[in-house]
Amino acid sequence: METRELFWEITSLGHTLFFVVAGAAMAVAAAGVAWHVYRYARARRSPVPVHPWRGFWRMVFDVFTQRTVHRRDRRAGHAHTPIMYGFLLLLAATSIITVEYDISEPFFGFTFWHGDFYLAFSLIADLAGLGLIVGVVYMMWRRWQVRPPKLAYRREYRGETETRPDARAWEWDDTLFLWALLLIGVTGFLQEGVRLAMDQPPWGPWSPVGWVLAQIFLGLGMDEAAAAAVRRANWWIHGIAALAFIAAIPWTKAKHIIAVLGSLSTRDALALRRLPKPALPRTAVAEDAEPEVGFGSIAEFSWKDLLNLDACTKCGRCHEACPATASGAPLSPRDLILDLRTHAARSAFKPGANAAALIGDVIEAETLWSCRSCGACMEICPVGIEHPPMIVQMRRQLVEDGAMEQQLRDTLDMIANRGNSFGESPRSRGGWTAALEFPVKDVRAEPAENLWFVGDYASYDPRNQDVSRTVARLFRAAGLDFGLLYESERTAGNDVRRVGEEGLFESLTEHNLTAMGEAKQFDAIVTTDPHSYNTIRNEYPDFGDVAPIRHYTSVLAELLESGRLTVVEPLGKRVTLHDPCHLGRLNGHYDEPRRVLELIGCELVDMPRCRDNSFCCGAGGGRIWIPDPVGKERPAENRMHEAASLGNLDTFVVCCPKDLTMFEDARKTSGHEGDFVVQDLAELVAEAIDLKSLDLKEVPALVDRITEAAATRIADTVADRLAERLAETVTERVLSELATRAPTLAAAPQPAPAEEPQEQTEATPTAGPWRAAPASAATLPPYEVPAKEGPRVLVAVKRVGELNPDFAIDEAGGTIADEHFEYELNEWDEAALEEALLLTEKLDAGEVVAVTIGPEDAEETLRRALAKGAHRGVRVWDESLRDADPVTVARVLAGVASQESPDIVLTGAQSADLGHGATGSALARILGLPHAAVVLGIEWDGADAMTVTRELEGGMRHQLSLPAPALLTVQTGGNTPRYATMRMIKQAKKKPIAVVDGAGVGLDQAGAVVRRLYEPPKSGRAAMIEGDAEAVAKAIADIIRDKRGEV
Amino acid sequence: MAGILIVAEHFDGVLRDVTQEMIGAATEVRDGLGGPLAVLIIGQDVDALASAANLEGVDEIVTIAQPDGHFDPALYEEAVCAVAEARQVRLVLIGHTAAGMAFGPAVAARLGSGFASDVFGLSVEGSKPIATRSGYGGKVSMDLAFPDKPVIVLTLRGATFKAPEAAGNASILPFAVDLDTVPGAGNHIDYLPAPPADVDIGKAEFILSVGRALGEDKNLPQFAGLAERLGATLGCSRPVADSGWLPKAHQVGQSGTIAGNCSLYLALGISGAVQHLAGMKHVDTIIAVNTDPEAPIFNVAHHGACVDIFELAEALEREFN
Repeated sequence: METRELFWEITSLGHTLFFVVAGAAMAVAAAGVAWHVYRYARARRSPVPVHPWRGFWRMVFDVFTQRTVHRRDRRAGHAHTPIMYGFLLLLAATSIITVEYDISEPFFGFTFWHGDFYLAFSLIADLAGLGLIVGVVYMMWRRWQVRPPKLAYRREYRGETETRPDARAWEWDDTLFLWALLLIGVTGFLQEGVRLAMDQPPWGPWSPVGWVLAQIFLGLGMDEAAAAAVRRANWWIHGIAALAFIAAIPWTKAKHIIAVLGSLSTRDALALRRLPKPALPRTAVAEDAEPEVGFGSIAEFSWKDLLNLDACTKCGRCHEACPATASGAPLSPRDLILDLRTHAARSAFKPGANAAALIGDVIEAETLWSCRSCGACMEICPVGIEHPPMIVQMRRQLVEDGAMEQQLRDTLDMIANRGNSFGESPRSRGGWTAALEFPVKDVRAEPAENLWFVGDYASYDPRNQDVSRTVARLFRAAGLDFGLLYESERTAGNDVRRVGEEGLFESLTEHNLTAMGEAKQFDAIVTTDPHSYNTIRNEYPDFGDVAPIRHYTSVLAELLESGRLTVVEPLGKRVTLHDPCHLGRLNGHYDEPRRVLELIGCELVDMPRCRDNSFCCGAGGGRIWIPDPVGKERPAENRMHEAASLGNLDTFVVCCPKDLTMFEDARKTSGHEGDFVVQDLAELVAEAIDLKSLDLKEVPALVDRITEAAATRIADTVADRLAERLAETVTERVLSELATRAPTLAAAPQPAPAEEPQEQTEATPTAGPWRAAPASAATLPPYEVPAKEGPRVLVAVKRVGELNPDFAIDEAGGTIADEHFEYELNEWDEAALEEALLLTEKLDAGEVVAVTIGPEDAEETLRRALAKGAHRGVRVWDESLRDADPVTVARVLAGVASQESPDIVLTGAQSADLGHGATGSALARILGLPHAAVVLGIEWDGADAMTVTRELEGGMRHQLSLPAPALLTVQTGGNTPRYATMRMIKQAKKKPIAVVDGAGVGLDQAGAVVRRLYEPPKSGRAAMIEGDAEAVAKAIADIIRDKRGEV
Repeated sequence: MAGILIVAEHFDGVLRDVTQEMIGAATEVRDGLGGPLAVLIIGQDVDALASAANLEGVDEIVTIAQPDGHFDPALYEEAVCAVAEARQVRLVLIGHTAAGMAFGPAVAARLGSGFASDVFGLSVEGSKPIATRSGYGGKVSMDLAFPDKPVIVLTLRGATFKAPEAAGNASILPFAVDLDTVPGAGNHIDYLPAPPADVDIGKAEFILSVGRALGEDKNLPQFAGLAERLGATLGCSRPVADSGWLPKAHQVGQSGTIAGNCSLYLALGISGAVQHLAGMKHVDTIIAVNTDPEAPIFNVAHHGACVDIFELAEALEREFN
């Protein structure tokens, strides 16, 4: 009967030996699997929900179709398929034999491995083996002859000329893997060949490869003895090679065979589109447990992340797709994953090592900052590794540590303070609508079908404002009802989250959701910004209810298709389209912008890298806020070359505000200024429908506008009256309250002038008899001051207002209304606070107490100081202090200092708003403290003297020693103030703030009285100087001289 | 007695310009407020300094010997208060400088005087001084009065008031104050030279910035030379720094440095990308030169011109030669 003999000429010792070896191999493999499972079980829980069974069938589909392996590397896919199927079938074949030989026959006396089954078995196994060998040989040829750059481990993108030792181990791993597979395949066929040559069964051709080999052996004159010798020896070689391979599976590159089943099954359908909230610690029981910050060590990675790391096959597809790698940034997603995997494996063997510093030692911070979070790496990964979420988790740790570029810190601060990344006034967010021919609805006041969430770039960047207006006109022309949130809108937070500032992201989300919730009725959200689109669509729902959102490309496509916008003349332009990462790759909208282009009659020529393979402009992941390295080609420039290579292009079409900015810039810097223009899709649509010829003012009906205007006028009048009445009441109340307090002031030393009647001053040149009336510390109500433990540093911090560009002065009242200001922590005080923190940190003792004078709103500023590390806060306030002069402020601070008895007092050298540069020195005098002003550095060991470096004009510095306690006013630039994350600011709520009544101290002030407040006379905006270079030079020279006061 | 007291500022034996400028400011209000106009010199070699301060309009020069001659706010405060009290002066003028900021406010607090700092305008109204200063980055000006104050201390902004040119014939009056036992005085250690001269865009007052119109780095020296001649700090826009033509420290803008202290900005060949504008649009006086009349830089500039920047640079070079 058709079958074959197993264990031909194997002695019983050999038999036993084989089973021992086989058992050992299985045990090693099992131990490997168990070790991995143990590691995963011990790791953190996954911060995103995992639905393994939902993912299971997709995994099965992807594995059996080899879909992911074929993507963007068809040849490798064609080679991998027979390897995978060959391996799988041969594994199945061996299992079948094992089942009969070791189970069904000995236990049940049942055999099946014979007859037709055996013939089919032989044929399939032979073809599987052939496929395996052909695939492996191609892979070898590819790896060592074709040498695709993505398989090279030398980090040329970092300028390295040597392959790192770890990477050399990876090379060995790849090499051994291929040779082992080849050896198993070849020895298998050799075995079959010599067996068929000896036995020559009639069914030999059912094993075609073995049969051909047998014929060759016979043809070459191989005698029976030689064949038997080969058969005997090769049996062991083949067997041991196969068993060794099995043993090695969990420990080598081959582990992907198993890991991929898990990593593909547990793919997060929303990966990167929706980043995980910070995970609760594994041990957390309570609902309100403090969540983890991010990944600071490998011990913080979840089991899903570790599984991802283990699944990597080093195929290099991510390395090839990454825009950071391509532009020479110090990041390759592949190397990142492999470095993490190597570290994870190593630290698993060394107890305690897994808590070691990850960032800096294993992964450089600059590597993490290089990521554009465009998702190209995870999108192409054949085994479902999700790189960007891991990068963001590690960035969260960097943000927590304040380890980021100054530029980025400043931007995050601006977003936190003003709600936009431009540092512009929130009030001017809707300013771009002013130039429109029609009013744009305010959704906070009246309902609209669509809420337009504009986003930062489309709101504030002048070039993008043009586009926003075009979009608004298109909507208007189509009769689409829309409105804005105006200044209630803030940065959506997509990129803030990807930078790793989770706390700030949460507060932005909270704010925007509240603004939307408080707005009047709207049905849907539209936006031109794919970044806002992504986060509102995918991330906001984790924080609250949010209306469905659409990108304007979908809206425009629909308006054109439904005829609400009519193309007047097809454009006939040859264009290419850049798929924004957040619109295309992350949210799958590849076709809408293409449909629009088709409808307006453009000839679309796609770039080689388009749709899911679109190449990021380089702005994502917060990179637009981080300066790019000098002298390297930026991703956007790389993209411009790609577009130019299409030839005869009219327009490079974008549909993302950041893209417009990045590519407009890159077109110039890459030398393609003359080749094509960069335009937004909306601008092409406007051209095609001849938007200019439409009169947009006509809608809505005249009668509506008349009613509306009348209503507004009435409302305004009423509001004014109401405001007047309110102001009167408030003033009266404050004055009467202060009057009742007056007796308590008797204890405080009164400055003399208040006693002098004002009229006297008119008569004589001097204002009353000359007398010195030293300012003294204000007597404030006592508050609880803890006992001193070590030196106490008192830092005065101020909330400073910056005027909005469109501010107005109430000249009659000599005031500027509060609404015109944006408030933030004075930067000089920030430097003083940093100095205070450095002092106590160096002493490893003591306490930093931050004191501010300001209303309740100013507590935000104080909390920022507490978040950075100040231990306690003191806030003094009453209305009399609203316009306090520097000496009065100093008196109040002295009142606090007299209760605190600090060992050192620090203030900023000046404030950014009024810039008196006086409070500190006045305070020192009142307290009778030695002092120095404009200080850049302090050395103090807590003893009775300190060395102080103060800055003089022109950058020269003066070093002196001062007795302690002392007061120093601190200049910026001597230190780099640390960053307080929003999380830290929220946590700082737990730190104590003493609120102290101002005791009417401000009533005494009369250091100076503001007689008049006015805008300084300004020259007109860009008065153009006419004439040739000579004339212009003369005019400019005059301006310069005039400015220097030389005229 | 009454009158005006100007506290002279000097360093390394040389009177600082702000001293002469304060004399200029004081002579303008002397008639309205009443004299005498006295200059107080505290220092080592007071005679040499006194002759430099002896300008037209100065009535008296009061000198106080300070043995070691290094500025110390405690000593200055002590000396100024002693003189002010002895002479019962109406107005004390101090430079708004690193030194003035250290003792000026202390003097004001000790005298309980009227006080204003960083004053750039001084006038008299009905025999009372009115000081003008600004706030909020120069966006708002304010006139201040000091009712009921027998004495007023003001710190004056430098490079603002015009110094008298003619010499004066003031009498010199030595004044004795014990400066040896002033509490809170520090001990001088050393002067340290300015750190190696790299640019500091954030502190520069006058910036000449070049943009992409520069074309290539070999054109840079022409503009570096021009900046030096004009006494301006050389800045640039992002493309120039990105191209590596100038170190990043020169870059003005959101991704570079904000020109925080700049009051005069000359932008040559800069079109005005939003990132750049963010770093300079707040500047008091902006002059922009660009061949493109539609360049956005003209939206924020106060003066503009459309000429070739290389021709202009040559012409400016001649103008200031």
